[in-house]
Amino acid sequence: MQARGASLEVIRLDQVSLWRRTQEEFSYDLKRTILTILEGKYRQPPRKQILDRITLTIEAGETVGIVGSNGSGKSTLLKLICGILKATSGRVDVRGRIAPLIELGAGFDSDLSVRDNIVLYGVLLGFSRAQMLERAQQILAFAELEDCAAMPVKALSSGMTARLGFAIATDVRPDILILDEVLSVGDEAFRNKCARRLESFFQGQATVLVVSHNLDFMVQTCSRVVWLNRGRIEMIGKPYEVVEKYKTSMG
Amino acid sequence: MVSSALPKFFRGAVAITLDAGSVQPHASRYLNLLYVLTLRNLKIRYRGSFLGVYWSLLNPLIMTGVYTALFGQAFISYYNNQLVNYVLAAFTGLIVVGFFIGSTSQALTSIVSNGPLLNKIQLPVSVFPLSMICGNLFQFTVGPLPLLMVATLIVTAQPQRLLLLPIPLLTLVFACTGIALLISTLYVFFRDLPYFYELLTFALWISSPVFYPAAIVPEQVRGLLVFNPLWPVIEGLREVVLASAPIDFALLAVGLFASLVLLGIGVLVFTRCRDQFMDLV
Repeated sequence: MQARGASLEVIRLDQVSLWRRTQEEFSYDLKRTILTILEGKYRQPPRKQILDRITLTIEAGETVGIVGSNGSGKSTLLKLICGILKATSGRVDVRGRIAPLIELGAGFDSDLSVRDNIVLYGVLLGFSRAQMLERAQQILAFAELEDCAAMPVKALSSGMTARLGFAIATDVRPDILILDEVLSVGDEAFRNKCARRLESFFQGQATVLVVSHNLDFMVQTCSRVVWLNRGRIEMIGKPYEVVEKYKTSMG
Repeated sequence: MVSSALPKFFRGAVAITLDAGSVQPHASRYLNLLYVLTLRNLKIRYRGSFLGVYWSLLNPLIMTGVYTALFGQAFISYYNNQLVNYVLAAFTGLIVVGFFIGSTSQALTSIVSNGPLLNKIQLPVSVFPLSMICGNLFQFTVGPLPLLMVATLIVTAQPQRLLLLPIPLLTLVFACTGIALLISTLYVFFRDLPYFYELLTFALWISSPVFYPAAIVPEQVRGLLVFNPLWPVIEGLREVVLASAPIDFALLAVGLFASLVLLGIGVLVFTRCRDQFMDLV
């Protein structure tokens, strides 16, 4: 286990840029597209640069925070690392299983039972059905939902749904955990339980990427902080120093 | 094996991990996803009762009854003057068209409606339209297919004909998969597609010899019907099941080839456009 230790790169971004089509200017409309082509007014949809030559290396076991104002490209950067988006230029190398924890419960189907959703969510995250059937019981136990296994998810309260999402995403023990905005799920007791489990991630070999506007949380938990500004890395370094600089720039 | 033949098609099914114990190869992850998503479709549709699958047989059975009542006598001379032949011909036509409309209309919106999920977890996009095909295939296999097999045995008394059944069925599945990939891709870019798709399905439905014999279509027009991918499926199925004519292997082969071309077009368009999906869903 120690072999995985000190200096194993798990994420390497090399001069990564990303251009995306802007959705608001796209017509989404076959009739209009055909008519504009016939009228000779058709133009290629415009593209906008979201990330500009990002170079970043993250090692196993690091907890890296990403700060920046809205629209600075934080979530887009996470999507590139997850493999959801493809870089327009540059290289993205990721080694390890990624579990995204963006908006808990996004993978749920409200008509299916809690147990079926555990299997579905786990398979979406990259596990086999057999593995998830084995894990279902301990996930139900952590989420304190053993009595609800056969109930459809829509019968659960929003707090219970969030608990289930958290239990699955962290039970799968990913190598890289992605946290977009810090969790505030369930009641006080469950929050403490979540905090303890996250703590074990932070201290274990898992690499954690956090996006949050809670700067105190970032200083407390991260080993490094990246400051993104309009798609560029403004600064990387010790959490306290980066956060202070970021705060002064924000005024 | 599959992933090297169609690298782009299956891209997205990548799950590398440092923990060698839980490595899932691409093809295996894809199959697991396809399985749970198909199961999800079926479970939602039938609300946990397995008999619900048979509920879906009601539609073609009732429609067969309606067509027989309306047109049975009018067209009976085309069916050896036996009403039961018309009933079986209408039923085979209805289940083929039903499979086509059911699977492709569900596939149409499948990529866009799973957009929120695709924006959070890296997934092979093609698994969504394909799971719709698989759900309908399962339904077909437990519902209409046994009926077709029984009809084949009773009408033709030639059990060896059952071996030919997979040919028109594969033709149907390939054609539907190709069209499903094509239209679910186009729907990402053109959200008014359902309007055009409805027109297209109506044209396909009315130009398929479902409730009328193919022989009443004028010679000049019949040439155009080769563009209807359901035509060889329905006619092929009837030849196998009803022994309406000596089996025309050329028809079966041409139909299968045409459906493979459709499948190829679907896969090509899907893989060419795949990289643009994430900007729009």
